[in-house]
Amino acid sequence: MTEFLVRRAFISAVTLVLISLIVFTGVRMIPGDPARVMAGTDADAAGLEEVREKYGLHDPIPVQYVRWIGLALRGDLGESIRTRQSVAWTVAIKLPITVELACLALLIALALAIPAGVIAAVRRNTAWDVLASAASLCGVSIPNFWLGIMLILLVSVRLGWLPASGFVPLFEDPVANVKRMLMPALVLGTALAAVLMRQTRNAMIEVLSADYIRTARSKGLAGFAVVVRHALRNALIPVVTILGLQMGALMGGAVVTESIFVLPGFGRLIVEAVFTRDYPVVQGVVLITASSYVLINLLVDISYTVLNPRIRIGGGVDGA
Amino acid sequence: MGPDAASPIYPLALTAEAPGARSGFLVRTWRVGRRRPAALAGAVVVLLFGAMALGAPWIATTDPVRTDWSQIRKAPTWAHPFGTDDLGRDGLSRVVWGARISMQAGVFSILLAIAIGVPVGLVAGFYRGALDQAIMRLTDAWLAFPFLILAIGLVTILGPSLTNATLAIGLGATPTYIRLTRGLVLSTSEEDYVHGARALGAGDVRLMARHVLPNIVSAILVQATVAVPTAIIAEAVLSFLGLGVQPPAPSWGTMLNAAQQFLESAPWMAYWPGLAIFMLALSFNLAGDGLRDLLDPRDY
Repeated sequence: MTEFLVRRAFISAVTLVLISLIVFTGVRMIPGDPARVMAGTDADAAGLEEVREKYGLHDPIPVQYVRWIGLALRGDLGESIRTRQSVAWTVAIKLPITVELACLALLIALALAIPAGVIAAVRRNTAWDVLASAASLCGVSIPNFWLGIMLILLVSVRLGWLPASGFVPLFEDPVANVKRMLMPALVLGTALAAVLMRQTRNAMIEVLSADYIRTARSKGLAGFAVVVRHALRNALIPVVTILGLQMGALMGGAVVTESIFVLPGFGRLIVEAVFTRDYPVVQGVVLITASSYVLINLLVDISYTVLNPRIRIGGGVDGA
Repeated sequence: MGPDAASPIYPLALTAEAPGARSGFLVRTWRVGRRRPAALAGAVVVLLFGAMALGAPWIATTDPVRTDWSQIRKAPTWAHPFGTDDLGRDGLSRVVWGARISMQAGVFSILLAIAIGVPVGLVAGFYRGALDQAIMRLTDAWLAFPFLILAIGLVTILGPSLTNATLAIGLGATPTYIRLTRGLVLSTSEEDYVHGARALGAGDVRLMARHVLPNIVSAILVQATVAVPTAIIAEAVLSFLGLGVQPPAPSWGTMLNAAQQFLESAPWMAYWPGLAIFMLALSFNLAGDGLRDLLDPRDY
């Protein structure tokens, strides 16, 4: 198992280096003087020189990369052109909002997807199965920003049940916070629920035909116990992997959702940064998102190696 | 995700050169279509949207960008069945012309992804070794960028426009095709007929083009029908955020962006463009499911 973990960690490290190279190259592809790009159009000659000095822009490109990555590893991602605050700080204060939104979305998605997937698998080829599959297909096809707009129209404008936008910090007023987070989380969770439902259904169908399920049934265990204790536990393993892979989609979805519901999170930050040509912030956000995606999936793989004896003994799954 | 890359793909009626293969394909289409009416309906709706995109100038008789200050945010009437927007433009003709932009962005971006991804995946899977490792590590890194965030990053560098949004979406979708193709090539190139052709003296290029590629085309095609709706939604999102198609061009995403400000006074502005995206994406997904059945003889 150690060999697998080392190999897996090594691949992740290589991926992280490549990600940093892609981001570094991307920023260099922005037309114009790199010092001007990083310091903003308002910067004076002294400001430009300061940036040139900091990133060693007079040095050869490989040296510049090493210097840049060195700074990034120490948490120095430059400063926002717009606010003059450090990028790391800007991200750090926005991140909790997005994390809360993502966690709520995940909860909603799991609460919808797991029971629906299990029922669809157990009652395979019945009306329930068709209904669940149709719902899943609609969930994948519906553009989440339109779903958000329609929800605002129905729930806020017509019914007046929930506020359409605005943000209240969780620790200031938890009830008001959740009221404003509920709709965005539902919107963000829908697509995820659709994907997870399909995975749960397929995994359950496969597991339910396994020998140990027949054994459990023939021991006289109740149908519900077999489904939940024996089948679902095994079926959830691939679902957890998919969950890790879906974190990227969740981040992307947060960009749109936060824009519609005017939540001052990580996703809105990147859109604002793009519009104000705040390149250091765009660079920082993209770098952090991609790196955390790699790390989350590394953790998912490690945890599931530890949890699943078949992989532990078998020496691991191939590839990344 | 998508179709499972591990499943072996058999030679297909579609690519076989036997006489009568064509009619066999049509018969199979009919049989699968009859068994799966939803897939057939999806395919029909996709074709209708395609016709709408091509025939926009003849279908939408009102100019989609002509503003009319006497008709601002008017509720649906016979003259304007989808109502008018905040600049007095006809909602229906903007939705019809929007099909052109969505189809263009959806189809061309995936064609770009296939044009880059399939050859690269083919080479990686065929030659394996260090080249394969290098390509796959780069693909992993590329895949680590969330699709939308990568597209936003690329649009930031390239500047917002329909062409650049298409380019960004295409490049974002490319690694999926590299992975898929490589996986398929790895299993296909171990087939006896490939070994046989090699023994007969066929060169690498001939092996790849004549023996491997035709046998993986169907899986790539199925993946494309699932990827196009994702690309269509991505274009709408980019335009909605103001990073794609620029006004006054009628894109469903930009229309929804405008609609968001007038939800209380003119909700119809938000209904139709969103419904159009939803219908088109749903139809593509339904048709894709049917196509998978059609191209996979095991199910047949």
